[in-house]
Amino acid sequence: MSVLRPLLERPRAAALLTLGILTIAAAVTTSLGSAGWASGVHYRTIAVFVVALVAGELVRLRMPSRREAAPLASASALALAFVGDIAGEPTFDVPSGVVVLIVATGLVLAAVVRRTFGRVVRVDQMAARLVGVGVAAWLARAASPWGLPLWELDDGEQVPLPVVAAGLLVIAAVGLTVEIGLSSAVRSERQRTAWTSALRDEVGEVAPLTYAVITTGPMVALMAPQLGLLALPVALFPLAITYVAVDRASRNREIYRQTIAILSVLTEAGGYTPSGHAERVALSSVRMGRVLGLSGRELRDVEYAALLHDLGQISLTEPIPGGATVLAAPSDQLEISSEGARIIRRASGLEDIASIVESVPTPYRRVRELGEDVALGSRIIKVANAYDDLTQGDSGASAIDAALERIQLGLGYEYDPEVVTALAVVTSATAPGRSGPGARESR
Amino acid sequence: MSTTGSAGHRPTVGRVVRPSAVSVFVAVVFTAGLGATAAAIRIDGLVIDVALAVLVVLAVLTWWQGSIGLTTNSVSLSFSSIVLVASMALVGPAGAGIVGILVGPLQRGKQPWRARLFNTGMFALLGVFGAVVYRAAGGVVGGAGLPGPWEIVRAVGFPILVADVVQALANLLLIAAVVRLAQGVPVRTQIWRMLVTSGPNQLGYGVIAFILVVLWEPVGLGPAGVVLVLPPLLVARWAFAQYSEEVKGHERALGVLVGAVESKAPHLTGHSARVAQLSVHMAESLGLRPAVVADIRAAGMLHDLGLTTLPTATVRRESIGAGASLRDYPQRGARLVQEVSFLAGSVDAVAHHREALGSGAEGAALGLAALVVGLADEYDLLTEVGTPDGRVLTHDEAMAILRARSPRDHDLLPALEQALVRRANVGGA
Repeated sequence: MSVLRPLLERPRAAALLTLGILTIAAAVTTSLGSAGWASGVHYRTIAVFVVALVAGELVRLRMPSRREAAPLASASALALAFVGDIAGEPTFDVPSGVVVLIVATGLVLAAVVRRTFGRVVRVDQMAARLVGVGVAAWLARAASPWGLPLWELDDGEQVPLPVVAAGLLVIAAVGLTVEIGLSSAVRSERQRTAWTSALRDEVGEVAPLTYAVITTGPMVALMAPQLGLLALPVALFPLAITYVAVDRASRNREIYRQTIAILSVLTEAGGYTPSGHAERVALSSVRMGRVLGLSGRELRDVEYAALLHDLGQISLTEPIPGGATVLAAPSDQLEISSEGARIIRRASGLEDIASIVESVPTPYRRVRELGEDVALGSRIIKVANAYDDLTQGDSGASAIDAALERIQLGLGYEYDPEVVTALAVVTSATAPGRSGPGARESR
Repeated sequence: MSTTGSAGHRPTVGRVVRPSAVSVFVAVVFTAGLGATAAAIRIDGLVIDVALAVLVVLAVLTWWQGSIGLTTNSVSLSFSSIVLVASMALVGPAGAGIVGILVGPLQRGKQPWRARLFNTGMFALLGVFGAVVYRAAGGVVGGAGLPGPWEIVRAVGFPILVADVVQALANLLLIAAVVRLAQGVPVRTQIWRMLVTSGPNQLGYGVIAFILVVLWEPVGLGPAGVVLVLPPLLVARWAFAQYSEEVKGHERALGVLVGAVESKAPHLTGHSARVAQLSVHMAESLGLRPAVVADIRAAGMLHDLGLTTLPTATVRRESIGAGASLRDYPQRGARLVQEVSFLAGSVDAVAHHREALGSGAEGAALGLAALVVGLADEYDLLTEVGTPDGRVLTHDEAMAILRARSPRDHDLLPALEQALVRRANVGGA
């Protein structure tokens, strides 16, 4: 079966899918009877939430790191877990299983629409969301330390309202943590990165957004007794503004990429470097960086620095033969890198990238013998640059082996052994037969 | 890009900055703000309660958060205005005035005392004015015990929306006026700029203020509602940080590209920045839209980018305007620029800034932007970089040469003169 094989290769994804299926099964067995009843009594509430869920799933946010997220859907699902008293509607008194089934309905509807329009449907993300909401719904609808479930206390009579709000916030945080934890586990497996760094990227990339998703659910539940179903769109509105902002953030990233692309074109257009060199060095630097456990931000700096590592060549009066700095005299290498760094420093805020570029030519022995502090990024680019200069973009097995052999000769003296090991991992992963390009796509 | 408005357009000459006018305006706004608050307290009385205290704390918090980015005034206002709008519905005109007085001067970072006085007056004025508008639109202060969603929307939501919009417009006008007086930026330009920057977000801030009020009064959470609204506040702030980050990103991109030009042609150091500034001032006094002004600025920065694709020896040997081997560098630059999405509007001006100069009627199609950049470029080459034979001309000599060119240039020469006046007045700022 074509569906099963990838799952066997990715045990975490398989486990998450199983968990998702178990959640639905549990929801069905515990609440099948009340589901039919609920759909009759609460049809308006259910319809509003399903519409919000489907819309939230369809209007995805593309994060600056190109990862997709659906904060509106997460927030709506969590809101449904908490909502009880609703002005103008019957009290939403349902077991947590019904919440899970409603959310599942919304997710499946959205998936069908996405599939119809030829968009990718990520079943693992759906499963992660479902499990997270299941946990939150169960916590909110089971009995609380005050006797009644939290959602029933939202009139503030038995327990002070701020305490109820705090309880709901904690539950929302738990639910979202479960969702993000599960989905980043699967993502790190797909991209072969550490789970912790995937998790850090996912929570921290737009941290305020994560907090805002957590507060939306409790906000809806608390406002619903007064505002009715209007509480949902009102509470989702601030989140929707974020879409514009995140879009801007993504555009910022794109501007960097385009500008840096121009700069790397400059050295090529002037005939200083072979075409595609900068791109290839950047690609293999990022792959090595990932193997070496760099965070998203560090990877980005390395990528940009790699694209710009030859920029200093534009002011040379005599081009280096073939543009291959690995063969240039050390003093020329130093001059190129410091001129490149000087150009980059012209712009404020690019200090990190400039200093990575600056120390690319530093041989590793100076780190080892003199204890010089050379950024890991510079050491990575040094190896990636040598590799590309030696292979000239040839991805044949014999060219790769010859290049690796040359680099091995400089091990410990010129190159950082750990980085060279990462290069070996990366080159074997991109050798024919393995799925190399995917690693780039899903970044 | 169209050339409408160039021919026969006479910018008002002599818009000179008058420091005394700024002081008078600041004094008027400050007095009006304090006066309005005092009047509101006199008429309504001031209730010092938990609500007012918490709002004041929030106001201080907006200070603690700091203001972000470049157009400090509009940015910090937009964040504080959530607090300000919420106070209209929670504590009425007198309280809103007090909150405004506190929000105003509490802008972190170095600011001239005059700016702090202006902000104090402006925020107080906006607070009182907004609260009066809120009340006029049927708004209820407090709002506990409103029966049902519809009543809440009618007596809180709708009035907040109206007050939010009116207050935002009043704020735009006040800031545009003071920036016009202090820096000579045309009112229209400044209003456009701020509408684009913060206009759409302002509505969002109104909704956040509405949520805070609903949680506080009808729901009955009281000040604890602030905790729930803080993350949206952070999101709003983050959203603004993104805008300012975008502008900085553009700046950085331009900076690195200019750095590449200057690394290639060290004798042009500083030239790009001066041309960009002159072009912007010319474009502003011609009354062009902010988007066009931004394109012209980028074109001014990057007009020599094409030089980077030529052999270093040629670039350093030949002089712009004389060297035959440098002839096609504007087109080369334009080809590079068109690869970057945010520079799309600058491509034409980069490509044609040399030909546009001195061209007659047949050059009309080359566009106003190309002409503006070309003129600024030529003036700077003549007076700062030096002519092909190595002479640096005085202002009058340069203007005489430019005046001897085609009649099309003549239309723009007043704008150039005016830009130079502004440069001399404001300094490099």
